Amino acid sequence: MNKLAWYWLMIEFQHVFKSYASGSAILEDVSFRVGVGEFLFVAGPSGAGKSTLLKLITGLEPADRGIIQVNGQRLDRLTARARPYLRRAVGVILQDTHLLQDRNALQNVMLPLAVTGQPNDVARSRARAALQKVGLGGKETALPVTLSGGEQQRLAIARAIVNRPALLIADEPTANLDKDTAKRVMDVFKDFNQVGVTTLVATHDEDLMAQYADRVFVIEPGRFRDFPVNKTP
Amino acid sequence: MKQWMQFHHYAIQVTLRRLLQAPSSFLTNVAVIALALVLPLMGASILISVQPVAQHVSADPSITIFMKPDASLAVSESLAKSIQESKDPLILDVRLVNKSQAAQALRSNEAWRQALEALPNNPLPHAITVTLAADDAVSRTAELLATEWRQKEGVQFVQLDSLWVQRLEALLRLVRIVLTLVTLIIALVVLAAVFNTVRMQALSQRDEIAVARLVGATESFVRRPFLYQGGLTCGLGAAIAVGLTALALNPLNTAISDLSKTYDTLFALHLPSGVALIVYLIAAIALGCFSARWSVTRHTRF
Repeated sequence: MNKLAWYWLMIEFQHVFKSYASGSAILEDVSFRVGVGEFLFVAGPSGAGKSTLLKLITGLEPADRGIIQVNGQRLDRLTARARPYLRRAVGVILQDTHLLQDRNALQNVMLPLAVTGQPNDVARSRARAALQKVGLGGKETALPVTLSGGEQQRLAIARAIVNRPALLIADEPTANLDKDTAKRVMDVFKDFNQVGVTTLVATHDEDLMAQYADRVFVIEPGRFRDFPVNKTP
Repeated sequence: MKQWMQFHHYAIQVTLRRLLQAPSSFLTNVAVIALALVLPLMGASILISVQPVAQHVSADPSITIFMKPDASLAVSESLAKSIQESKDPLILDVRLVNKSQAAQALRSNEAWRQALEALPNNPLPHAITVTLAADDAVSRTAELLATEWRQKEGVQFVQLDSLWVQRLEALLRLVRIVLTLVTLIIALVVLAAVFNTVRMQALSQRDEIAVARLVGATESFVRRPFLYQGGLTCGLGAAIAVGLTALALNPLNTAISDLSKTYDTLFALHLPSGVALIVYLIAAIALGCFSARWSVTRHTRF
């Protein structure tokens, strides 16, 4: 774990509850802290609430009860106007990459920079660097549909990191990838983590957890467990 | 400032890309809006062209009493004097036009001069013009006065003048109200057309909007391209409507010009002034932006 972790909190959950619309509980009284620069996995069976936990952190869904703080901001007190500015500090990679199919790889990666009003030339060069970083140099003009599953996932990572986020969140980023490609994707996450980016990855893959995890949250129906460094269940 | 410009530059790029992806749909919308906007513009053109005609003719109603051809000037003067001395508050002015003066005035027109010279003697009668105060009951009062004066000695014929101007003004007032209502209805039609187009566009761009929000786009950033789309559609529609109206006025004016020449006058329909047209364009753009904003705010809550 990064030494800074205990001094600067990136995520804090205090007695958080979340239920489905039907009323059945997903998260019950969950509390944890994640320090700056940590590399965490969120594990658990399908439907246990991994994606919900990540959505709570990114503010895509509100908690029913409890306090969530991300990057020093309490999400329940965040105004609708302030929410986009928090999202700029959080890079999100979803299982379905949500790439814009009518734009090429470079234009997809430039989107977060356009959102922050970066000049075109600056955005272009930063997007190129991000593509280079994830091993997609030379694929700038390729449309997402022409890329393989692994390349699309790396393109989504490039889009998530181009704004230099403080927190990187990935929901099942290796679910549809073969072992080698999954390892390459995880190596990219590890590289970012090593330069201080707090990284949270939701996955089923126990091999990857064993190889990369510093800490694992296990979510099971009605139960939340926090396993510290290299102690996977 | 630079960042603000960057946002607008990006929004314009996105708007153009979206429009180029479905050019026929965009052009159809523009054509529909242009045709709808022609109607109020055409109405305004007619109103603006006709209004000066009513304004240049005295709106004060008057009555002209034509004396019999053999009625003497003395009898005519006596009648004019008695009308003057009646102290009726409705009577503003009484003027006697003797037949020699009238003939003299007519001779200044070449066509009339030739006609008068062909006649053995002056065919015009003495006439008395009575100007009345304009009020709501003038039509009825003028009729009563005319009936009374028809009984006077030496009177051949009494004619109610200028009442038609008042009727024209009333008609123009009515046309103005109708035009305002038509304009409002057309504005609602345009509003609905843009609202629906933007709704369809917003639904088809659902993924892009979701991704933009995910990476930290503000609502203004999401809305901006749709505002440009609405403004561009209506602005272009309004500009085409101006062109179409100008084209439509051309053949109309040819026909009107032929007709007005027979009355020895020149009359033509024309578009509103340049400033009014600019205001019209700006209003159309504002309407498009407003409608787009309303639609995109309602249809991107996901």
